[in-house]
Amino acid sequence: MTSLDQTVSLRRDHSLSLWVGAFLVGLHVVIALLTLVWTPYDPTAMSGGRLEPPSLAHWAGTDRLGRDFFTQIMIGSRIALIVGVGAVAIGAAIGVTLGIVAAFATKLLDDALAATLDILIAFPTLLLAMLVVAASDTASLGTAILALGIALSAIVARLTRILAKRVLLMDYITAARTSGTSWFAIVFVHVLPNIWPTLSVNFALQFGLAVIAEASLSYLGLGAPPPNASWGRLLQEAQGTVYTAPIGAIAPGIALVSLVIGVNLLADGLRDIADPTRRVSR
Amino acid sequence: MQLFNSRALLVAALLGSAAIAPAALAQDFDPNATIRIGSLYEPQNLDNTAGAGQGINEAFNGNVYEALFQLTDAGTVEPKLVESYEASEDGLTYTFKLKPGVTFHSGDPLTAADVKYSIERVTAEASKSSRKRSLSTITGIETPDDQTVVIKLSARSISLPYNLSYVWIVNDKATDITATEDGTGPYTLSEWRRGSALALARNDKYWGTAPTNGEVIYTYFTDATALNNALLTNAVDVVTSVQSPDSLAQFTGNPAYTVTEGASTTKEILAYNDRVAPFDNVKVRKALARATDKAKLLNSIWGDYGTLIGSIVPPTDPWYVDLTGVDPYDVESAKALLAEAGYADGFEFTLDTPDYDPHPIVAQFLQAEYAKVGVKVNINIITANEWYTKIYQEKNFQATLQEHVNHRDIVFYGNPDFYWGYNNPEVVKLIADAEAAPTEADQVAKLTEANKIIAEDAASNWLYLYPQIVVSAANVTGYPVNGLNSQFFAYGIKKAQ
Repeated sequence: MTSLDQTVSLRRDHSLSLWVGAFLVGLHVVIALLTLVWTPYDPTAMSGGRLEPPSLAHWAGTDRLGRDFFTQIMIGSRIALIVGVGAVAIGAAIGVTLGIVAAFATKLLDDALAATLDILIAFPTLLLAMLVVAASDTASLGTAILALGIALSAIVARLTRILAKRVLLMDYITAARTSGTSWFAIVFVHVLPNIWPTLSVNFALQFGLAVIAEASLSYLGLGAPPPNASWGRLLQEAQGTVYTAPIGAIAPGIALVSLVIGVNLLADGLRDIADPTRRVSR
Repeated sequence: MQLFNSRALLVAALLGSAAIAPAALAQDFDPNATIRIGSLYEPQNLDNTAGAGQGINEAFNGNVYEALFQLTDAGTVEPKLVESYEASEDGLTYTFKLKPGVTFHSGDPLTAADVKYSIERVTAEASKSSRKRSLSTITGIETPDDQTVVIKLSARSISLPYNLSYVWIVNDKATDITATEDGTGPYTLSEWRRGSALALARNDKYWGTAPTNGEVIYTYFTDATALNNALLTNAVDVVTSVQSPDSLAQFTGNPAYTVTEGASTTKEILAYNDRVAPFDNVKVRKALARATDKAKLLNSIWGDYGTLIGSIVPPTDPWYVDLTGVDPYDVESAKALLAEAGYADGFEFTLDTPDYDPHPIVAQFLQAEYAKVGVKVNINIITANEWYTKIYQEKNFQATLQEHVNHRDIVFYGNPDFYWGYNNPEVVKLIADAEAAPTEADQVAKLTEANKIIAEDAASNWLYLYPQIVVSAANVTGYPVNGLNSQFFAYGIKKAQ
């Protein structure tokens, strides 16, 4: 049992992480939306000299081709968000479906699915994504999203299966079944709403994973092809110039870290709201 | 099938010893010094006919193995294991007298049979040497006595001495030279640690001038930054070829290091598939050449280093002429040419781009440049292996980027089956005739003519010539500065006491 004082301070901490997280993520969302209508320069325009340092004209300097670096970082936000949302959506669609099927299935099928998922999870997310990208003909942003989505789906599926199984043991499910409620209705009326809070926190964490994994793929040249300004690719291009123009490595690094930390803080905050045990302790 | 290594694709097979950077004052150096050379090009094996990559030429040419002739660092071809030679009147029979008293590292004397064996090793069916084709006119090799080799040709071959400079002379009794060696050079292989280093020890029984150091260790790095750091922390003495101008900032102006810029033979090329539309149209190729601001590109990649070229021929080849004025940067005339060619509204093509530096950044530059003339470039990133199968073997592409490292590689434009499929009968004939020329002056005249035609035809888009930058600790001198064909002769390197 926590004392009343501790509970209050806990709640303050958690709401702080919620707000900081929401601010960081919100900032990236605003920048991403802004790039749809405006950027300081055309991202592919060679508007400055080679590796210019930060200045009023170029806030984060220019790259080797003289392209405005700040513009590219901004577009990187958009790409990161598209990848994060896309990969989590694909991962959730596949993972939740598989997880629910496994939870409802006969023991044999359930065991088979569980074993498959365990094998998939044993593969590092990045390695799995690299396999999918390598198997496709050409690298594109779409391939990278699909690859990450598939890689994440195994984690989502296993979580969904366990959560759904726990719900299916509840008395009210037995009651619903005996009263003749359809399988379909049980899933949508009883199971999904019950597991949703936990799942959504997990999705937020997966989002951060997906953003880092995409940056890694792009760093390795397996992500979005140039001239897509993925942060990972910007980091890769800056590697050779890190001594003469360190801003090229620092700026995308800050952008990447701020988004991933933001998403994780937001997930922490959301868990605070969603987690029933915390609600009880209130 | 490793004609290529992962970084530099078109790898030369080769040989040699040579002209060397200014040497330290006599007696100033330690004759038993260990010279530690840092390189990015680890050989895959130790045999240059078995797809070892350019690294084996860097480590072994002129150091461990020698050839009948040597391509020197200054670009000349000089006799090495040959005492004298003469060609018959019709140019179809060459008689070589071998240097007397030369022995292999195993102790066996060099004989004519070893030379015959070594040449046949390169021309053999199983050989993966990129020089195989240039020796294809050899019809027979005779060894009338131990010191005499007679080579019979089916056609005149003015470049025979040059081509023989690529042929390592190996003891015919040697077995498995992919993992061991038996050459005649000033160094023997003392240790090869795969994945990290290759050590050469001075051959005290060497027939020629003894090396000015006692031991040479090539240390291999996969990352250029790590390689530069090794030089900064005194873990290596020399870096064979610096691949980015930005890391040089740490060395220029620092008295503890010497930076030299030599002539390289490495060209960055936008190679079109000249067989397929729209690149079968010379106007389209010329238009893209004129739409490329090569000076700006070179500055983006290399800062103040490097050289602009107007064809594949670098200034170190005898048939060089300045052709940068043939298709100068001019967006308006590029647009006019495209309109004449029937592409007033531009067109779209896929640029297969190897995934390592500088190709992706060059591709983005071209994409932005060509957009100005209405040409849309789709960048498709591929690995070095994909490049080899898809483009070099299957010729299944529209355009690609590649760095060609070979010396004298204008001859590729005389081969219509080469991956870029350039086929101008006049050039094919000129290049074939040049090889059959009775004199070198005649050869140079014909190749200069071919050079001008390929530039006029904009057969490919020759973007720039790489600089060859070697960085060393200031107490180390005497290393080759040009690195032609990736050679790096170690025997003249001196380390101050």
